[in-house]
Amino acid sequence: MDTLILVIIGLVAGPVIGGLVAGLDRRVTAWFQSRQGPPIMQSFYDVAKLLGKEKMVVNQWQILCAWVYLIAAAVSVGLFFAQGDLLVIFFVQAVGAVFLVMGAMSAKSPFSQVGAQRELMQILAYEPVLILVFVGIYLVTGSFSISAVWELEQPLLAKMPLLYLALGYALTIKLRKSPFDFSTSHHGHQELVKGVLTEYSGPYLALVEIAHWYETVLILGLCALFWSTNVFWMAALLLGTYALEILVDNTMARMTWRWMLKRVWLLGMGMSVVNLIWLYAG
Amino acid sequence: MFGSFIKKSRAKSPWIMHFDCGSCNGCDIEVLACLTPLYDVERFGIINVGNPKHADVLLVTGTVNHRNKKVLKNIYDQMPEPKAVIAIGACGNTGGVFRDAYNVVGGIDKVIPVDVYVPGCPAKPEAIIDGVVVGLGKFAQKVEEAE
Amino acid sequence: MSNLLFLLILLPAVAAAVCYFVRSSAVRTLTVLATGAILTAASLALLGQETQPLTVGSVLGIPSDFLIAVLDFALLGVIFMYGVKHKSLLIQGFTLAQAALLAWFELIMVKSAEVPAFAVDQISLIMVLVVSIIGSLICIFAIPYMKEHEEHLHLKKSRQPQFFFFMLLFLGAMNGLVLSNNILWLYFFFEVTTLCSFMLIGHDRTEIAIKNSVRALWMNSLGGLSFVIGMMLVYSKVGTLDISAILAGGPQGALMVTGVGFLCLAGFTKAAQVPFQSWLLGAMVAPTPVSALLHSSTMVKAGVYVVLRFAPAYSGTLLSDGVAVCGAFTFLACAALCIGQSNGKKILAYSTVSNLGLIICCAGLNTPLAITAAVLLILFHAISKSLLFLCVGTIEQAIGSRDIEDMRGLYAKFPRTATITIIGILTMLLPPFGVLMGKWMALEAGAANIYVIIMLAMGSALTMVYWARWGGLLMASREAGAAREKQAALISLPLMTLCLGAVVLSLASPWIYNSMLAPMFNAPPFALSFGSLNAATGSFAVVPLFLALGLGALYAVKAASGFRKVKIVAPYLSGSNAGEEGTYIGPMNGPVPFSAGNMYLGELFAEGKLTPVFNALAVALIVLMLGGAL
Ligand code: SF4
Repeated sequence: MDTLILVIIGLVAGPVIGGLVAGLDRRVTAWFQSRQGPPIMQSFYDVAKLLGKEKMVVNQWQILCAWVYLIAAAVSVGLFFAQGDLLVIFFVQAVGAVFLVMGAMSAKSPFSQVGAQRELMQILAYEPVLILVFVGIYLVTGSFSISAVWELEQPLLAKMPLLYLALGYALTIKLRKSPFDFSTSHHGHQELVKGVLTEYSGPYLALVEIAHWYETVLILGLCALFWSTNVFWMAALLLGTYALEILVDNTMARMTWRWMLKRVWLLGMGMSVVNLIWLYAG
Repeated sequence: MFGSFIKKSRAKSPWIMHFDCGSCNGCDIEVLACLTPLYDVERFGIINVGNPKHADVLLVTGTVNHRNKKVLKNIYDQMPEPKAVIAIGACGNTGGVFRDAYNVVGGIDKVIPVDVYVPGCPAKPEAIIDGVVVGLGKFAQKVEEAE
Repeated sequence: MSNLLFLLILLPAVAAAVCYFVRSSAVRTLTVLATGAILTAASLALLGQETQPLTVGSVLGIPSDFLIAVLDFALLGVIFMYGVKHKSLLIQGFTLAQAALLAWFELIMVKSAEVPAFAVDQISLIMVLVVSIIGSLICIFAIPYMKEHEEHLHLKKSRQPQFFFFMLLFLGAMNGLVLSNNILWLYFFFEVTTLCSFMLIGHDRTEIAIKNSVRALWMNSLGGLSFVIGMMLVYSKVGTLDISAILAGGPQGALMVTGVGFLCLAGFTKAAQVPFQSWLLGAMVAPTPVSALLHSSTMVKAGVYVVLRFAPAYSGTLLSDGVAVCGAFTFLACAALCIGQSNGKKILAYSTVSNLGLIICCAGLNTPLAITAAVLLILFHAISKSLLFLCVGTIEQAIGSRDIEDMRGLYAKFPRTATITIIGILTMLLPPFGVLMGKWMALEAGAANIYVIIMLAMGSALTMVYWARWGGLLMASREAGAAREKQAALISLPLMTLCLGAVVLSLASPWIYNSMLAPMFNAPPFALSFGSLNAATGSFAVVPLFLALGLGALYAVKAASGFRKVKIVAPYLSGSNAGEEGTYIGPMNGPVPFSAGNMYLGELFAEGKLTPVFNALAVALIVLMLGGAL
């Protein structure tokens, strides 16, 4: 019963928190650029407006894929709140990622095709790192279930500092922030238009956006696990991490996928492996 | 309740698509100026998107000529309803100084319906922002009529 | 029970003979259909039986063990002859060595009493089901396929009798292999599959087909040799031919474990593990049903079956770790090689090898969790992979190409085939389907070994990429009122059955686990509650996930099916769309048609460059593995 209530809380609170974080993100970004920026509620206005627009698609696959993307993202957040298995949560999330790519590939648009291929490269980059992070958590807690994390005496961060850094890498890619925003560029008037998102419009774009909020919450939740012993420090960790994300996002130019693959597979995986060896030895 | 939130949101989140239909770039620079910290139109939720499928408002600068009228029409058709069109600068309104050129069709309204005309050569950023605001009013009106 | 076993093994052989000697195509069709139906029924009936070892006394007055021994040498003779015919010294050498060692083994070393020839346990039960049902479906698919195939070739005399002879014989041999309890019988069936695969790969008799079949034969003869050596070493220590007795004894000293190591090596060759992957890749030249059979339910599964069968005999040894690392390496290496491929059958082939590596890795990890993963992977991989092969076969006959770039937008013309293929791909890579569940268990089991888990993590990401882009490119717009796609009944029956099977069995996997796998272990890895598999290390909520994602997907499909009501617009092409979807007005005012290509990351994942490196590494690992056994 408790689990069910938690899941419902997660499903309802997910988009609310995700939307607020997105609004905050834009505010802070504006502040960096000495602008005032949009209201905090802006993302909700955006999505509500999109939901009210005319439905317009290239073909039915886009409708299917947008919905599945949203559902998978929501289910993965639900599983997270149900204290489920980290790997399962991750794989459910991957359902959404795969469908987003497939939907983009269904349209004969050069922009969404290129975006889809690059999105695949992003998956290729972050997936192994995330799996290794989960393995690290398993080595510390003895289980892949989130529930085991809450029983720890010491925050995970103490045992897995390098894995947390690697996670940060993976998150930047997953959130498609600069320098890894090459599958959907931030600003829609660049060479790529909006990459994978180009052909999704109106209500379907809104679905994708809500799914993205869920993903943001999932990612923040993962970070939160690293300081599970103290709520105050957990909040500080999350704030610090996200602030760093925004800073990186605003100070970096977009890089190429080659740069990303090499960087992440060498540096991200390298850090993960070093940290894992440490855990195996310890 | 959700319906009224959507209605309210329409005015709070106008995503614009800027199409240069053969302008001298004077008006374009002014449009982009709106996004700079000085004018910061993101305050009103305005985002400059690059894709008609994501846009609510089409900002067109410059005169229409025989070559690009099809492009203008196509981009307009790819915008989902409800949408508004704002013609910017003397050229966009009427053809401006180029109106007598051999290849010029004229103002934007020769090809697609225009909701707001923003005059000037070039139009001032304040005027453009003003135009967008008026455009949003029209657009709310249109939605109401449709309902 | 004994009748069922004979039915499962001998019926395909008899049916094969009928196909060979009666050249009428109607009789052949009927025989194949009837055999398929009976095999399916028999394998299901076996489920409900008491399992006990079975001794085969004598056949027509000849002691059965003696008969098998004679057949063994006859078989080696036949293979040797083919070695001579194709002037392959390797084949000749390996078979001669095998024959010599085998003679020594049977005449001088073996002096034990009667050993039960067959035994049924959980693993072999599942294997029998896979072989009998999936194998039969593939044979049924082959009926219309081969008809069209031969029409393309313009043969004077149909070679289908021979084709179906070996296809059906294969099924019988596989059933025999997985049911054998006497290691010599196992060896016999092992060799029969080698011969059958050789004949089927070379079936088209083109130059390349013959070349590839010869390669398959020498690699598998090497496997056979390794099997004989392993058998001898194990026997010299244990002193019995009874597999269940060998397994019950567990690892017994360096010599015996080395023997098991050689048996594993034999399994590796059969399962086409790196560096032996080339024979399976070469096997693509054969007609598609052959590839489907080799890749999903027979042949390569014989390889992993051997490794898995002997898992208790090397549990806890260094050999076990070696097997796990070799398997994980194959998983990663083949996934990497697969990224660079655009040939659909090659993608399937590499992904097969990669998945077999995962299964072997699980066998090497050797915990109850890992063994469960291995068995589930065998089952679900067989279903999904055979489905995909049949899909590629159907697509190839429809569009005349097996390149995935040519399949782009397949949905526009062949919506049915495309949809089934997409579902097949999804069952290969996404939760809540069985293959992914197996992979999940493998990852959880592999987390205890750092080398294994790193390779699995990287391989898993690569897998995601090559499947997702294939699934995506099949999707496309379809014009309203386009002509309906026609599919022959015998084509769509296997496709639909497999497609449905992949989904339904995935949903049923908790119960499959509970009734068939859990009894294998003293301490089963999972407890079942509310349709989810729970363990201290993690849980997979199969049924809840199915409900959540399934209902969601149904809703999405429903939303999508109403798409004709919403406004359909062409893709955004900077405003210069022209005519057909995706075409734009380009230079010189002319239309530029849409074209796209996947990123194959040629500079990172070039097959030519990577293969030698991977082969060298794999050889080193195998040497280490065998060395670890000592
Ligand atoms: S109105 Fe003036 S500034 Fe604007 S495009 Fe025309 S000529 Fe240029």
